[in-house]
Amino acid sequence: MAKNLTGDLHVISANRLADGAVVFLDDAGGWTIELARAALARTSRDSEFLLARVQSQGFGVVEPFVVAVREGNDGSLEPISLREKIRASGITFQVIAAEAVRYA
Amino acid sequence: MPDTHFYRYDEFDRRLVAERVTQFRDQVRRRLAGELTEEQFKPLRLTNGLYLQLHAYMLRIAIPYGTLSSRQLRQLAKVARTYDKGYGHFTTRQNLQLHWIKLEDAPDAIAMLAEVDMHSIQTSGNLVRNVTADHYAGAAVDEIEDPRIWCEIVRQWSTLHPEFSFLPRKFKIAITGSPNDRAAVRVHDVGLRLWRNEKGEVGFEVIVGGGLGRTPMIGKTLREFLPKDELLAYLEATLRVYNRYGRRDNLFKARIKILVHEIGVEKMREEVESEYEAMKDSALKLAPETIEAIAEQFAPPRLPHSPALVPAVEALKLEDRDFALWLKSNTAAHRLAGYRIVTVSLKPAGAPPGDASAAQMEGVADIADAYSQGEIRVSHEQNLVLPHVANEDLPAVYRALGRLGFAEANIGKITDIIACPGLDYCALANARSIPVAQRISRHFADLVRQHDIGDLKIKISGCINACGHHHVGHIGILGVDKNGVELYQITLGGDVDFGKTALGTLLGPAVPADQIVEAVDSLVTTYLQQRRDGERFVDTFRRVGLKPFKESVYGERD
Repeated sequence: MAKNLTGDLHVISANRLADGAVVFLDDAGGWTIELARAALARTSRDSEFLLARVQSQGFGVVEPFVVAVREGNDGSLEPISLREKIRASGITFQVIAAEAVRYA
Repeated sequence: MPDTHFYRYDEFDRRLVAERVTQFRDQVRRRLAGELTEEQFKPLRLTNGLYLQLHAYMLRIAIPYGTLSSRQLRQLAKVARTYDKGYGHFTTRQNLQLHWIKLEDAPDAIAMLAEVDMHSIQTSGNLVRNVTADHYAGAAVDEIEDPRIWCEIVRQWSTLHPEFSFLPRKFKIAITGSPNDRAAVRVHDVGLRLWRNEKGEVGFEVIVGGGLGRTPMIGKTLREFLPKDELLAYLEATLRVYNRYGRRDNLFKARIKILVHEIGVEKMREEVESEYEAMKDSALKLAPETIEAIAEQFAPPRLPHSPALVPAVEALKLEDRDFALWLKSNTAAHRLAGYRIVTVSLKPAGAPPGDASAAQMEGVADIADAYSQGEIRVSHEQNLVLPHVANEDLPAVYRALGRLGFAEANIGKITDIIACPGLDYCALANARSIPVAQRISRHFADLVRQHDIGDLKIKISGCINACGHHHVGHIGILGVDKNGVELYQITLGGDVDFGKTALGTLLGPAVPADQIVEAVDSLVTTYLQQRRDGERFVDTFRRVGLKPFKESVYGERD
């Protein structure tokens, strides 16, 4: 089911089955990790149609759902909710540099 | 490498874990091949500790009673480096979470764990989870008996227990063997506290119905004194009553704490005792030789003589202020006067609490081999512990930990913050936790100031599920989402110390994310103005109440 549905513009997102990566449905019906390449649904009806299609076809992803986005002046897409911004852009802090610390 | 001084797997354990790897490998293969739907697969992956979070799968690895050998810690580092992004997150359940595991790699990852007698079984699902214990177990000066012996007995009983594999909800047990409760036994589904009665006998106080989360509750005493050999029968009776009467109609009301609250502890006791009466002389009654066989495996290491007073350590305390502070806050009394328990702070200033890189894990393993009998503990406060360090080795351990960035002299201080992964990782979270912890940590980084402030526990959760234990923080911080904006509720006065266990009191309206550090600073300033000699933050709060703290944060708005 769709969640966080505010605004008029939507994309379809999911996690990729094999590795859990965040992916977005693109115009060709495939999945991309780039939000910029996501298929944009401009009406709720369009987003519901896209969601129903991917749910019925099971494209190697887990639990696809509708994400509300906004379109910037330059045409770039940005999720509206913080949760989806973090999903699209990654964690918001610097992880420890995994190999930077060496025990001498 | 030193021998381990805790339970070693036998053939039964190894076969069980190996079989699980084989089963899970086939389940993953079938899922990737499209032979299993997500609905069919999800319970299978969850019972192996594999969650799907915001960005990736997360593998939760069980660290029974928080005890690790150096070999196991090195293997955890290897798994993190091979199958994840080279780091891991130690949790408030004494487990390790790897947040970037690929489903296709998960079977190989758990096979790598099995090589060192580790697994991720029962780290999720509605069953008995990893049993937690005092992280000073076997070393603490105040210990009556090593609680890990009983954790291991409970682990063996509860692993794949057929009757309790589909409980109404998850079930968490904690055991302490010391009067100073470092295992937070009153905020678990069942808490067990070993104590000695007037006759000199050691048994358990059985506490039931504690817990944090959406409906925080302090556990109530179900049985004042339970003979040790009756432990499993009594637990079986307790879980049977819960399994029968616990609610399954509402996820949020399914924990045992709700059952105890609804029927009352007297009725709960009546039900459990009645069930127990019928089984107390059954096969669940522990034979002395069974207990002894497990206890032998936890026999304390033979520690060589070490002087109680080491002139070189005393001299360094005078020369090196940071070492003196570290000695004061990061080491604790050992049962032997010539030794100290060293807490490895996974909270360097500004770092994500509880995180360690693979290289850091290997470094701690090396230090444990050189100076602590090859043994490491994970604390529920998201630090590591070296349980047996000779006094004369303390300077070397301090320097070695310093090279890893793990010698921050802040244990129990304001920057020793507990924080759940929060909205950066967790699919359940409403707000971020780690960045808030980092900002508070940076703000209070000055060690002298931290020591002046004294013991102050900040605990942060990114949602009401309370994995960051915010309810029992001296200062608790709970992230909430209001119309897409992160806000943080503050509670004061929470505590898990035995006899003083308390849930925090809400300070007032939630504050915006960019004001949380300022709010904590105001609380600390108020405390410093109000405190009397020897009072910790929480003591001053208990004496003066909420009002001055509330005014310090909201005063100008009122």
